[in-house]
Amino acid sequence: MTPKDNEGRVRGENLYRLLLHVYPRRFRQRYIADMIAFYRERVRGTDRSELTSFAGIWLQLVPDLIASALAERFAWLHRETEAAPRVVRHFATRREDSMSILVQDVSYAFRSMARRPAFTAVILGTLALGIGANAAIFTLVNAVLLRPLPFAHSERIVELEHGDQYWTVSEPEFVDYQRGVTAFAKLAAYNLSDVTIAIPGTDPMRSAGVRASRDFFDILGVKPEIGRTFAPDEYSPSAKVRVTVISHRLWVQQFAADPLVIGKSVTIGITPFTVVGVMPSNFTFPSQEAEFWTPWRLNPDSLWTRNNHYLSMIGLLASGSTIEQARTQVRTLNHQWMKDFPETYAPNHPITGQLTPIRDFLLGPTRPYLVALLGAVVFILSIACVNVANLLLVRGEARRKEFAIRTALGASSSRMMRQMLTESMIFAMFGAVLGVVVAWFGVRGLIALAPDNVPRLGEVSVDFRVVAFTAAITIATGLLFGIMPAIRGMRGESADTLRDGGKTSGHAASAVARRALVVAEVALAVVMLTGAGLLVRSLIKLQDINLGFDPSRVLTMQVTLPQRKYNDTTANAYFQQLLTRASRLPGAQSAAAVSYLPISGSDNGWSIMIDGRVVKTIAEAPAARPEHVTPDYFRAMSIRLLRGRVFTDQDRMGAPPVAVISEGMAKKLWPGVDPIGRTLKMFSDKAPWVTIVGIVADVRARGFQKDIPETMYFPYAQSGQSAYVMPLSMTIVLRAKRNPVELIAPLRNVVRGLDATVPISAVAPMDDVVGSSISNRRFATMLLAGFAALALALAGIGIYGVISYGVSQRTYEIGVRMAMGASPASIMRLVMREGGRMTAVGLMLGLVGALAVDRLLRTMLVGVSVTDIPTLLGASVVLAAVAAGACLLPARRATGVSPTHALRSD
Amino acid sequence: MVTRSSPPLESQLPLKPVELLVLTMLSAGDRHGYGIRQDIIDHTRGAIALEAGNLYRTIRRLEGDGLIDESGRRPAADSDDERRRYYRLTPFGKRVLAAELERLRALVKLGEERRVISPVAV
Repeated sequence: MTPKDNEGRVRGENLYRLLLHVYPRRFRQRYIADMIAFYRERVRGTDRSELTSFAGIWLQLVPDLIASALAERFAWLHRETEAAPRVVRHFATRREDSMSILVQDVSYAFRSMARRPAFTAVILGTLALGIGANAAIFTLVNAVLLRPLPFAHSERIVELEHGDQYWTVSEPEFVDYQRGVTAFAKLAAYNLSDVTIAIPGTDPMRSAGVRASRDFFDILGVKPEIGRTFAPDEYSPSAKVRVTVISHRLWVQQFAADPLVIGKSVTIGITPFTVVGVMPSNFTFPSQEAEFWTPWRLNPDSLWTRNNHYLSMIGLLASGSTIEQARTQVRTLNHQWMKDFPETYAPNHPITGQLTPIRDFLLGPTRPYLVALLGAVVFILSIACVNVANLLLVRGEARRKEFAIRTALGASSSRMMRQMLTESMIFAMFGAVLGVVVAWFGVRGLIALAPDNVPRLGEVSVDFRVVAFTAAITIATGLLFGIMPAIRGMRGESADTLRDGGKTSGHAASAVARRALVVAEVALAVVMLTGAGLLVRSLIKLQDINLGFDPSRVLTMQVTLPQRKYNDTTANAYFQQLLTRASRLPGAQSAAAVSYLPISGSDNGWSIMIDGRVVKTIAEAPAARPEHVTPDYFRAMSIRLLRGRVFTDQDRMGAPPVAVISEGMAKKLWPGVDPIGRTLKMFSDKAPWVTIVGIVADVRARGFQKDIPETMYFPYAQSGQSAYVMPLSMTIVLRAKRNPVELIAPLRNVVRGLDATVPISAVAPMDDVVGSSISNRRFATMLLAGFAALALALAGIGIYGVISYGVSQRTYEIGVRMAMGASPASIMRLVMREGGRMTAVGLMLGLVGALAVDRLLRTMLVGVSVTDIPTLLGASVVLAAVAAGACLLPARRATGVSPTHALRSD
Repeated sequence: MVTRSSPPLESQLPLKPVELLVLTMLSAGDRHGYGIRQDIIDHTRGAIALEAGNLYRTIRRLEGDGLIDESGRRPAADSDDERRRYYRLTPFGKRVLAAELERLRALVKLGEERRVISPVAV
């Protein structure tokens, strides 16, 4: 019975009619007319209450509507079949609208969960761990790999560099590329280097700065946070005022985030620069260490020589051009150069341009680790789902009688399946809520433990992608572990179940399902164990690699002498004094200085001539990595002397120039002959011939996995004449008797005591320098090992649960056996055999799976193959041991079964 | 309309305050829902103003328990063109209302004896 439509309708009535749908259908059917009439009266203003405005009416109406509708819905559940048992009340009626069903199922699920707090806690805990771990790792993956880079059009930005031998780009090559590669709309060159920077009022310090050519900021498409980048005339070599743009970090740390920083002065090297801009905090191109950018004032009429490679390049692809087209044009130019400049490019050292999309360039090295981590947590979640599914199946067994009653009373199988799935989804949602807490702590932990060179670590935060991912895995999780119990519930039970009290029939099928699940999780655990094992072995092998020097107990500290104050003579005297004082510090063993610390990154090769053989073109000249060292360097770094001698104090300025070479260089340039007494010189007319006096063991200066460079060592005192230049920036290496960290403060005092204006930078034990070169790998390996341990624990719990339940179900059978004379040992064997069978099958499947999955790890392995037998064997043994332990407790419990009790209780 | 045999009178007591109010207002004669609300507002001087949800839930409960039912009365066609339901007390409802008011009277008497409130002059 409804009021005549459209006649007498008042304001807001349509909305009110819509809202009335929150009431149960029967209630609506009975009272809707009255309620609409009521509403009309209220609105028409015939009210005698105080609040008569339209808004006021709705303010009172809406809360009343919500509260009464909810109350009515819950009351309805009890009202309809008051006399029948509760379980029937829920499911006996047929014509129910879906909202009512959902409310029913939800409230029933809540009550189920509350009735079994321990059971619920275990499920929620397992899910929280699985979902939380996934959310945490995905947050990291999202920030580092998925979020767009902070550049405009980052998909069109390309990094250009050269391959073997050349690595970087020279000035004439840059100019040629700009002219010849039309696939690029813009090309820029840049160079990152360490300089001394002084801000008025603070100590001078070493800092990494970038010289960038025109178009650098345009290509990246980044605007400064404050101020501006460079004007066109500021790139001119004749520009009077030197300008710089500083990083957000430098602005905060050195200028206290002063908003009036623009116009302030900064001395870079020996030149004053004016700050014109501050970059945003997420801009760290080309490296996280970059603190300031200056315009590179390239003079096209006076370029440095073609063979001096030191620049990096970025380009913006023209719209419509592809990276392939650019690559082709670059290679064409490369071929042309080889023809036009044979004195620079030898035929056996071809120059090849390498183009890498900026995303791969910046994130490439980290990607495999992050993907492996994401794979690992997905595995863990799967194992967690298996455990929860098992738990729910077990509980499903206990509820079979209830299911049988429902079926007998007419509940459809789809109805029961829906109810089981609702329960699963509620478990999943609560698990997800707790998982968010786990993820929050997990992300904090990851950020704290992650090595500094993980890119974009500062950008880690939760965004819509993380929320969507977490929601998706929550739903997937709920379905994954819910589907089996739901299908079991859907099968319903027969009258047999009701008759025999629900003890037999469904057992077999359910038991098979549970065992299959355990086999699956054992297999997953094996895959994770082998993967983690391979990576751990790789890490160990890597760390065992002989670096050629001993980094333990060595302190390193970089000092840079100010250009204006020191010349060759005074610099030499300075370092002599410094090292004498340093070696006399209590706790110090030996002290030396070196131009480029191994592993720390600097890596140029210099062309040389040997044995009096003058080489016409630099292209034909051999090259080696130069080091300027003080006499005690080899002792301080424990680099082994193989032949001849190392430097002494006699190898001073003015004495005959000498050199020491590495073993690899000796073998390459003097194969089969003794190089001691032979000569070499820099590729320059003015450079003197230098006599080789010693050969030392190779040093892995480029890092663990990279190749070993040929190295030539020059005495610091002589390097001004024999090796182009006496560097003003040197790294002190101080070998300590015990802990090198104890020498940091004393060494600083020595440096300050000699000259307080000398900036100190890069202070670290050599072990840390070495460690940081593999920090990414170590971090990922440790995490994966941790996850593998977690997977193992979960699998163990899963095995325990199934075996334990199996024992409790077989109490009668065990009682019979024992009554018939079976020994406790044979009972134990019985139980262990069941566990052993599941474990064996899971292990087999897991090993096969491991061989397939671990193949994906190949790029990360060092010195181990995917089929590394010790690792596979070790993983199998560990798993078998855990499985045996998990079966032991229930097996022992089985032997404690009293036959009379077992036979009677059934 | 739900018909069931009336439960025993004692099981209906004590009535909820809203139910008591609704039954008392209906003791004056047939009312529709909105009329009940207005009567309650008048009686409580605006202190209690029932909204539709609360009111009709109460009506539903009272109908379910057999204390009220739908009156056959229809409004005059010219005064009210909507087909609203009118409600009235059932005989059982009257008895229950009387029992509740007696119960409350005994309580009030106790309050007077204990000087919580002053006795009403008879």
